Amino acid sequence: MRISGLRCWKMGNREEYPEIITISTKEIGSEPVAHWRVVKPVIKYETCIKCWVCVQYCPEGVIKESEKGPIIDYRFCKGCAICANECPVNAIKMVREV
Amino acid sequence: MGKLDLLSGNKAVAYGAKLSRVQVISAYPITPQTPIVEYLAEFIANGELDAEYIYPEGEHSAIAAALAATIGGARGFTATCAQGLGYAFEVVAQAPAYRAPLVMGVANRTLGWYWSVASDYSDSMPTRDLGWIQFYAESCQEALDGVIQMYRITEDERVLLPGMVCLDGFHLSHSSEPVDIPDQDEVDEYLPPRKIYKHTTDPTESESYVYPSLPVSLHTTYRKIFENAMQRTKDVIREVTKEFSERFERDTHGLVEEYHTDGAELLLITMGSMSTAAKRAVDRLRDRGVKVGLVRMRFFRPFPSEEILRIVEKNGVKAIGIVNRAISHGTSMDPLGAEVAATLYELKNRPNIINFIAGMGGGDVSIRDFESMVNKLTNTLNKENVRETMYVEHPIKIETPSVKFSDAAYCPGSQLCAGCGATLAMRHILKILGKNSVLVFPPNCVSASLAMHFPSSWMGVPYVLANYAAAAAYARGLQRAYKYRGKKVYVTVIAGDGCTADIGLQSLSSAAESNEPIIWINYDNEAYMNTGIQRSGTTPLNAWTTTTPAGVKWHGKKEEPKDMISIMIAHRIPYIATASPSFLRDFESKIKKAMKVVEKAEGLAYIHIQSPCPTGWRFPESKTVEIGRLATLTGVWPLLEVDHGTFKLNLKPRKLKPVAEYIKLQGRFRHLNDEDIAMIQKFINKRWEKLLELDGKIMW
Repeated sequence: MRISGLRCWKMGNREEYPEIITISTKEIGSEPVAHWRVVKPVIKYETCIKCWVCVQYCPEGVIKESEKGPIIDYRFCKGCAICANECPVNAIKMVREV
Repeated sequence: MGKLDLLSGNKAVAYGAKLSRVQVISAYPITPQTPIVEYLAEFIANGELDAEYIYPEGEHSAIAAALAATIGGARGFTATCAQGLGYAFEVVAQAPAYRAPLVMGVANRTLGWYWSVASDYSDSMPTRDLGWIQFYAESCQEALDGVIQMYRITEDERVLLPGMVCLDGFHLSHSSEPVDIPDQDEVDEYLPPRKIYKHTTDPTESESYVYPSLPVSLHTTYRKIFENAMQRTKDVIREVTKEFSERFERDTHGLVEEYHTDGAELLLITMGSMSTAAKRAVDRLRDRGVKVGLVRMRFFRPFPSEEILRIVEKNGVKAIGIVNRAISHGTSMDPLGAEVAATLYELKNRPNIINFIAGMGGGDVSIRDFESMVNKLTNTLNKENVRETMYVEHPIKIETPSVKFSDAAYCPGSQLCAGCGATLAMRHILKILGKNSVLVFPPNCVSASLAMHFPSSWMGVPYVLANYAAAAAYARGLQRAYKYRGKKVYVTVIAGDGCTADIGLQSLSSAAESNEPIIWINYDNEAYMNTGIQRSGTTPLNAWTTTTPAGVKWHGKKEEPKDMISIMIAHRIPYIATASPSFLRDFESKIKKAMKVVEKAEGLAYIHIQSPCPTGWRFPESKTVEIGRLATLTGVWPLLEVDHGTFKLNLKPRKLKPVAEYIKLQGRFRHLNDEDIAMIQKFINKRWEKLLELDGKIMW
């Protein structure tokens, strides 16, 4: 009995696949999720008291501490607004994405 | 006449069951089957269907309960697929001997192997030898009709066998088509009420029951007798589906469907939804003068060998292409291909055969694919005795993720919902656990999100996807391997409430009792959220879920949630705690304590985290932390720990906030009135008093 493959559709692709697929624990990665966002958190640095509650509670962990206050990595912010909801001094405003 | 509506395959199956007036429904959530039983729950809640509804802890029990209901004289219904069908395998194997006419919906999905939630027949195919009737629908209409036909077949006194109604996961289960829903009177005329047979286990109506075991010397004989019943079933299928077809004026009958087989030199044999694409390919090729036809297997068990032989002989078929979403590893053929080949053995002039393995894991098999396949068949016409297997492949390029993080235990970008409590919890868990840990994931939202960016992950520690009911066992095995090899690795199970309180409880209990030094994290979002908000053992009283809808007859979940902390206290494990991602300092200190306990190999550490779910609890995603905080401050989610037997309330507000503050923020409690809320408040108050009493006490 002959056994073969019928490569359809993307006929040009001749990639060799590894027999066992592995994931690296040394280097991980993902794709940005910015396009999920409907509203975007914007920090009012003049109001911010640097309590870092937003850093703690951001589910994604995309808010980092810095000298001037929290910095948001917008590539990975899903716009959940937990930071704005938790901020004790209302220093985070949710702005509609355009 | 019936009415026309746009139904998904799952809804069509649910309508089929409703119109068949099923009496006992028992099922467990699993993608892509779940909507079938959600719709049935809705029918009952709204008073449209009068049936008992059982919520078992897993598929093993789900199918057993439905089977037992059928043994006890009711019209039973269940539905499952993939891992669920695999988990229930021994029940599935036992069912035929009871000669009980159970009908099971199977929304086909890859079983085990590399995980996929999409469609192939690797789940139902391994059950093909067990003695069930197997029907494979091509369309949503056929899924509905198939259920009604199947009850008529299975309950026929010449048959009395269980039957599966299979529909391709997602391709059918989640695709909507116009479906003619027959009137109840018409169905009632076609399908008489369930009868009580001589062997039905009902002491009030029947004087006998099925003898469950056989002497060795009779096993072969009874296999023969059983096989005769299976063969006899073919005539019943031909007869009663013909009657259905005439009565409902739909051409949906017989063991196979023939499409342009007249004068077909080339023949495609297919099953399920891909047949529609195959038919379009046949149309195109016929237009071009290619003499090709198609046979679609409506029933795979019993196997329609007579029909296949007749079609091949009558038309002088020269080459056959068998296309299927299945493979029998080690034979290089799929079960359908192998059986067609075996069927053709009787012929003198055997046609050439190519077995096409296609659409595994839910891949699309397009019209163009079928045209290519027919091309390959044409190429064999000048050869003899061809028997070949071809894999219909659609290769893609493996790409690395666009944003990379080095030496991190966690990176953002998971596919979990915005505002997900579990994401917040996972981020802090991974931060504390560090890189020297291995995570064990039974199916849950987090594990489903792990493998979404092929071939990368947002977690920088290795994880093992565990089978649902055996998560603790996976952890035990891993931990023992590291112990034997003298390594210190934190083996941590990240389970949801479904795994902890329902399907995985037995395995967890065994590991706890055996003092296995593993960390068990139960992130409790109070329902099966991964499959779309079905009731679990820890769903709160009165909460709306898709399987406990609020309607005319139902008012959300009827039962109190399972008290997992007391269950773990009964196991006397060294560390038990509740935690909340809204109280992160407490949360992180508890993870650290759990790590100490397993470091010293004292036993299992159990941490029960409430994980607010905006999607399932119906609240704005910005409120996740607020709701978690309110849960603790109202006494709904008390923060406590039992450290080596000493009970401690970690947070004791002087006065609890009214529970209404917590409840009114959530849509899942929208149907509750003040009286209901007062009841819940009473329950919370009583429990809080009990907790205050326990505070500082030694539990064992």
